[in-house]
Amino acid sequence: MITQAPVLIVVIPLLAAFFCPLIGLWRKGLCYSWVVITLLLCVLASIDTLFAVIRNGTIHYHLGGWLPPFGIEYVIDHLNAMMLIVVSIISLTVAIYSKPTVERELPKKVVYFYTVFLLQVTGFLGIVITGDLFNLYVFLEIASLAGYALIAVGEDGAPLATFRYIVMGTIGACFYLLGIGYIYIATGSLNMADVQQLLPKLYDSKVILTAIAFLLAGLAIKMALFPVHVWLPDAYTKAPSASSALIASLMTKISLYVMIRVLFTVFKPQLSTKLLPVTDIMVWAGFVAICGGAIMALAQTDFKRMLCYIVVAEVGYIVGGVGLANATAMKGAILHILNDAVMTAGLFTVAGIIMYKTGHHDLSDFKGLFKKMPFTMSAFVIGALSIIGVPPTCGFFSKWYLIQGAVIAEHWAFIAALLGSSLINVILFFRIIEIGYVFNVSNTGHVHNGSNTTIIDEAPLSMLIPTVSIAVAIILIGLYNQTILSNIIAYAVPKF
Amino acid sequence: MKVLSLITAVIVAGALVYGTLDMPKWGDPHSPASTHVSPYYIRHSLEQTATPNVVTSVLGDYRSYDTLGETTVVFTAGMACILLLRRGRKK
Amino acid sequence: MFEFIINYYNYWVYIGLMMIGFYAMMAKKNLIKKIIGMNIFQSAIIFFYISTSVKKGDITVPILEYTHGGSGAHAVDVMQYANPLPHVLMLTAIVVMVGTLGVALAVAIMIYRRYDTLEENEIIMNIRKGR
Repeated sequence: MITQAPVLIVVIPLLAAFFCPLIGLWRKGLCYSWVVITLLLCVLASIDTLFAVIRNGTIHYHLGGWLPPFGIEYVIDHLNAMMLIVVSIISLTVAIYSKPTVERELPKKVVYFYTVFLLQVTGFLGIVITGDLFNLYVFLEIASLAGYALIAVGEDGAPLATFRYIVMGTIGACFYLLGIGYIYIATGSLNMADVQQLLPKLYDSKVILTAIAFLLAGLAIKMALFPVHVWLPDAYTKAPSASSALIASLMTKISLYVMIRVLFTVFKPQLSTKLLPVTDIMVWAGFVAICGGAIMALAQTDFKRMLCYIVVAEVGYIVGGVGLANATAMKGAILHILNDAVMTAGLFTVAGIIMYKTGHHDLSDFKGLFKKMPFTMSAFVIGALSIIGVPPTCGFFSKWYLIQGAVIAEHWAFIAALLGSSLINVILFFRIIEIGYVFNVSNTGHVHNGSNTTIIDEAPLSMLIPTVSIAVAIILIGLYNQTILSNIIAYAVPKF
Repeated sequence: MKVLSLITAVIVAGALVYGTLDMPKWGDPHSPASTHVSPYYIRHSLEQTATPNVVTSVLGDYRSYDTLGETTVVFTAGMACILLLRRGRKK
Repeated sequence: MFEFIINYYNYWVYIGLMMIGFYAMMAKKNLIKKIIGMNIFQSAIIFFYISTSVKKGDITVPILEYTHGGSGAHAVDVMQYANPLPHVLMLTAIVVMVGTLGVALAVAIMIYRRYDTLEENEIIMNIRKGR
């Protein structure tokens, strides 16, 4: 059983998703427990896989027994194993968190929401674990379709935001498909390791140049790199709280992981750093993304929208870090993928709690919340400190490595962007903390559609415990970052 | 917006056509795509999978995991449509 | 020159089709026209892949001659059969395309139920007026 753990990670949520509607027909209340149990098994399988990778090195799992390149294989190295843990643990946390908010925001759709939730997690895990390019496309589409559905059932205006996301997301996936088509025409194989061996003699052919351009363009749309990020703010703001906590923290990071795979496993690092100016363009793209995201975040009055622009800026950090093309910056970028997933999940769960208690997610809804919801607000403050980059939260350490990497590469504009965006994050979050501490709920005269009669007190336990545990995890990852770096990430950094 | 879309489409088309200039000729029997992995499927499909239809044997046996993924895509699309479109009954 | 075109014209025709779909997705204001453009784009990609599976000469579909009782031990001439792998990949891609089309149309129905129109500029006007 344990040797089958790699495929079990994907197959357990898949089969559970097939059974979820049947269970929902029988007893509606069981769906939540079914989802939590499934994702718990998934977390156990991925922890087992992580320890197997740390002990034995890269795992190659041949599906169906066929050897690559004739069959599909799962390749799990350290980067994969870390991403699997991140995806499964955050999915489990959001699933535990989701019950009250799904029952309030989507009262009649609970069963199918959880089914599509499981399918979304299946898609994410399938993308992260595979070693075959076309298999990645299939699971990318599973994740995308589930994501469209999970976002479209949100507030008023969600379907229109989802439609724009569908158009742009399909363009991104089709560019990815075109990219792997060009690689297939040039090499004849679809397996990542096989293509890596076949490609080096083709590095100066126009087919490969176009292939890498279209792969990166498609992934840039999926990861919301400025300026093709325009689908992200509307879609994640108007989505239901549980969906935005799951998708906002994971989808962009998974697309970043695929970009790292394409650049450093399918194509050797020399192509991107020395032969083509890919990494130089990436640093400037990261710089523009950080500046654009930070400036747009300042202009927002809606809390979730502000968080969405912070996500855009964080994608800029990671793209710039990968583009700097030295080992320290890559360590910082990979650590930042882990950190950002956790921080974004933490802040979006806080936004969900505020939405549950007050019915809106504006900045002005924070008034007086520090007295009424101390635990939630403490989790919020820890998440905010992590995004700003204050030790001992995890955000500080990844930024530290990114700045060190930028100093080694002597890219001063990127350092300026990193420090500037930290300052802007200080302004953003301290503005909210001021609103939370200084103003009192009873002093304000304005009314949010009659919700001034709702009693605002601490969140229900099933929402509070996941939020606080994410905050604790942020601090723990920060304190143990050296352990994570030396055991996992040091092996995941490609050799430049 | 229309002019911008037209310019973008022309640029993308130009990039794609530029990429095709180095490709193997149309119908070349010695292209990499026809000589690397596919001959193995055609030669061994009958003995390894007892299926004369090579497309079926690849879909159903060698790359059957992709077929599972495709089934999941159909299921996801169906569940998504139910989630999006079903209106609760008004009692 | 003529030979150059004959060698590559299949790719160029399908790239042209792709760009028709791509332009429709981006520039048209009606949501259904955008969805039609998406369909054209994805169908053209499918054609692009399949066109690479053909080989010059006297070839046939990739279905082997089935010999009764024997194991088909006589040698199979690979050059006689079309390349099966793009067909396999595109069967999956067709299904993905249909799934995406379904979800996109479901979202369009949701939009129509809410705003009573499917033109993007009218929807934005309705939102601005607060309807």
